[in-house]
Amino acid sequence: MKLLELDNLQVSIGPVQAVRDVSLSLAPGECRALVGESGCGKSVTAMSLLNLMPPTAQTNAARWDFAGRDMRQLSEREWRRIRGNEIAMIFQNPMTALDPTQTIGSQIAEPLRIHKGLSKREARMRAIALLERLAIANPAQRAAQYPFEFSGGMLQRAMIAMAVVCEPQLLIADEPTTALDVTVQAEVLSILRELRESSGTAMLFITHDLGVVAEIADSVSVMYAGQTVETGSLQDVFSREAHPYTQALKRAVPNMENPHRLEAIAGTPPDLRHPPKGCGFAARCCERMAICDQLPPNFPCESTAAHQARCWLWHPEHPARWRESEQ
Amino acid sequence: MLKFIAKRLLSGAITIWFIATATFFAMHAVPGDPLTQEKAMSPAVRAQLEARYGLDKPLIEQYQLFLGNMLQGDFGISFTQENRKVNDIISKHFPISAILGLAAVLIALVGGVAAGTVAAYYRNRWPDRLVMIGVIAAISVPGFVIAGLAQLIIVAMNNAAGKTLLPVAGWGSVNHIWVPALVLGLGTMAYLSRIMRASMLEVLNADFNTAAKAKGVHGLRLFWHHQLRNAVLPVVTELGPTIAGVTTGGFVVELIFAIPGLGRYFVQAVQQLDYTVIMGTTVFYGAFLVLVVVLVDISYGLIDPRIRLHGGGGR
Repeated sequence: MKLLELDNLQVSIGPVQAVRDVSLSLAPGECRALVGESGCGKSVTAMSLLNLMPPTAQTNAARWDFAGRDMRQLSEREWRRIRGNEIAMIFQNPMTALDPTQTIGSQIAEPLRIHKGLSKREARMRAIALLERLAIANPAQRAAQYPFEFSGGMLQRAMIAMAVVCEPQLLIADEPTTALDVTVQAEVLSILRELRESSGTAMLFITHDLGVVAEIADSVSVMYAGQTVETGSLQDVFSREAHPYTQALKRAVPNMENPHRLEAIAGTPPDLRHPPKGCGFAARCCERMAICDQLPPNFPCESTAAHQARCWLWHPEHPARWRESEQ
Repeated sequence: MLKFIAKRLLSGAITIWFIATATFFAMHAVPGDPLTQEKAMSPAVRAQLEARYGLDKPLIEQYQLFLGNMLQGDFGISFTQENRKVNDIISKHFPISAILGLAAVLIALVGGVAAGTVAAYYRNRWPDRLVMIGVIAAISVPGFVIAGLAQLIIVAMNNAAGKTLLPVAGWGSVNHIWVPALVLGLGTMAYLSRIMRASMLEVLNADFNTAAKAKGVHGLRLFWHHQLRNAVLPVVTELGPTIAGVTTGGFVVELIFAIPGLGRYFVQAVQQLDYTVIMGTTVFYGAFLVLVVVLVDISYGLIDPRIRLHGGGGR
């Protein structure tokens, strides 16, 4: 049984079709990376998964099941019980995502007070215990401090504590390491990995850093211009990349063992107020065909059942399909 | 923290000395003196009065005398109100102004925070528009017009009810406070709601607000714990000068509603060049303003922990 099944999510904010077709699935305990460049709709997808988009945004999905429930039917009341309890989120910048006027301890304890009905004292004890588990020295003292007294890495740990304190089934991490320097990044990643192993929480890990993906994810979804363009296991997407965009991304990553000149992807992403008629990547694609500009590749285009690419190259009648399967 | 307060109080004392000195010389530079009245006075009587009040001495000597007395907390006797000590005038009438002023500030604060919050929540929709129209009206219509209108409304209400719901003017009961306090606080309320709207909009767009919602925080808890405390800081900053301004600047409202507050005596004293009362009320108001600003600085630290903990080193 899948924990999350999301099919054809569409979100538009005014004239901007920020998310045009995102399909994701997560098994319990799975860690899926959602990869893509800035502005491709990753964060909008994340916010939509918590139903936290502003009321001006319009959200649609062909299917949106979480833990056996149809999320499209939920009332705001039911959503409140899910946020922070069953689905929690780690934000990109811990410096701004923590309330400057509340102590770290009370912010971590807050979900327990709301969702688990714990007393102030109990919630505080649990918050302190969690801080200790996340390797924060003097946790009791630290819990009484305010965000401005914490360093960036400690703040992100506090942020993680805030998200996992209710032991959610799904943890959405929206670029949790982007705002941190490299040494702290590694530390936060190892904490997240450890948490996942010990608690079995499924994770949707949003990032644009392919190096981070390789370290933490089981499976990968690649997003481009508001769509998931390639989905598969870490091995599928990293070593048998099927979509030309993923291939171009990989050529833009430095490689120490096999040094080569980095190739930037020519051109810019399409304007999502007027998305192109055909494939979103066609204008920048080096394998572009006539049909790419005319029709969107909306068919089940899989090389194997678990590995899918939204690309005409993978159409059943395209010869490239044979090229791949013969290898 | 103590060092910080001591520092503020010391700079406050210097401010008060400066105010006192400037007022003293400006006052004496005005043509005429308290003894100049419609009735002509015989030179002998005048000389005797001048000697009694010390007006025959050179100005510098008068200034020294005044400073010496001020340090002992003595402002002398009023020129125009026979045998009334300035200290008595202040202690009798200031509490009335203070009650009226504090009620006005309280109404302005609660009303401004509420209106600003509603406007921010419903940004660019009709409740926001309504609040902003009210704000512009309250800021641009002068206080005496609103005071008169308020009295007309009270009269109409009382007539319609057939009994006295609210007194039109005067002082003495709790019911005497509401309407003048509202009139006095209206401009401030409008001003504060504009500040509150802007800062609440900022908070509503802040990451920590979204993060709190993502934890499942909602409704009143979200408002009290996360939004209000962050958004109210700029409002509190404005509160210091506002409290002093409203408490001391209510003489128009005091006049229209026949309230025996200090503001009325202050204006009267300036018109009649009642030297001692002018000096007494000015220095008193100055000291009051300094004190309120220090108190607001301290309360600022209570709301924002970042200031509390840095406060020891001064800002």
